[in-house]
Amino acid sequence: MKRISQALRASRLPLAATFTGVLILAGCASTPPAPLANLAAARLAVSNAERGDGDHFAATDMSAARSRLVAADAAVVERKMILAERYADESRADAEVASAKTASAKAMKVNDEMKQSTGTLIEEMKRTSGDKP
Amino acid sequence: MNVSIVNFSRTLVAATVASVLLAACAAAPVKPQGAVAVRSKLTQLQADPNLGTRAPLAIKEADSAVLAAEQPEADLPLAQHRVYMADRKVEMARAQAEVRFAEDQRATLTQQRETARLDSRTHEADAAKLQVAVARADSAEQKLAADQARGDANAAQAAVASAAQQAAELQRRIDELQARPTDRGLVLTLGDVLFTSGQADLKSGAAGNLDKLISFLTEYPTRTVMIEGFTDSLGSDDFNQGLSQRRADSVKSYLVGRGVGSTRLTTTGRGESGPVASNESASGRQQNRRVEVVISNPPAAALR
Repeated sequence: MKRISQALRASRLPLAATFTGVLILAGCASTPPAPLANLAAARLAVSNAERGDGDHFAATDMSAARSRLVAADAAVVERKMILAERYADESRADAEVASAKTASAKAMKVNDEMKQSTGTLIEEMKRTSGDKP
Repeated sequence: MNVSIVNFSRTLVAATVASVLLAACAAAPVKPQGAVAVRSKLTQLQADPNLGTRAPLAIKEADSAVLAAEQPEADLPLAQHRVYMADRKVEMARAQAEVRFAEDQRATLTQQRETARLDSRTHEADAAKLQVAVARADSAEQKLAADQARGDANAAQAAVASAAQQAAELQRRIDELQARPTDRGLVLTLGDVLFTSGQADLKSGAAGNLDKLISFLTEYPTRTVMIEGFTDSLGSDDFNQGLSQRRADSVKSYLVGRGVGSTRLTTTGRGESGPVASNESASGRQQNRRVEVVISNPPAAALR
């Protein structure tokens, strides 16, 4: 019986340390973790849009995406994680819109070129048939 | 009583506070700022005949985002975040629909371009055919012209050849006639031996010479003939004149009898005049007794 009480006494220190750790962890838990996944997704979306020449076709959306990514990083530093997550998501949405607009502009450009070349063919034909009635 | 009044007034205050709080809650169900604009943007996209049905999934997502944005939210930053996200989703849906629309259009455009190309090629081929046809026509025309020129040349050559041939033929006939070309024309002398002495009748031997003359006159129908009779100086002038005339007439009647038109023939009795040799000798006198057939030269234009 005495041994047991001694053992209990001996284990008081680790128990206290554990209790303190839990308290510290609880303190940490009151601040949410950084939205690392959202930030990574935003970065990926921005770099994808950059590779697709989004700066040329959707400059406004690209600059919005970049400034929101910067704001998200700043919010993380300030430990405003909810704000950081929102900025990250907005940045990603901006970058994705930029990519989609780029694709749209490119597709329309291709169509315009086709229309132009068809028009040229028809014009050419009219001209030559005008020369030789 | 006092207690109950106090209790009542407490209840009243509480109710007032509660109603104020409720009113605050009632004021809350207002759409966050910007939500209406986003909704209208989405509605516009959905109503677009070209884009409305082309990105159904993205439009559905946008609709959900707009619905979320429209929810009353006391947390203003969150409300603004939702509105912003909804706006992005609508933009996303529009861009995707545009891409799809452009892709759908491309099939038509490709077809149009192919049609134009085909037309253009057909047109080029037609133009080329036309050129070939024109070139062919040109060359045919040139060939025709060349042929014509060649024909003309041949004709000219033939004409020259024919003229030469005719001239040669004429010369041959003249040679055959043993006629002598003079200024007056071809002179064919029928000698005294062809006539019976002192008579106007032609001897049968004269026929050979005269037949050549007839054939010549038939060949050259524009030529007229003057037949002149001559005698020597023996005998009276009257007799000689009469004899020379009768002999000339005799030749004429022979020719007419063989088909030569009488209008082409004139006769003259020259009597003793126009001797070709001396009447002193017998041979000279024989030469002087004669009939000369003068075949007129043709008009310059008509050789025949």
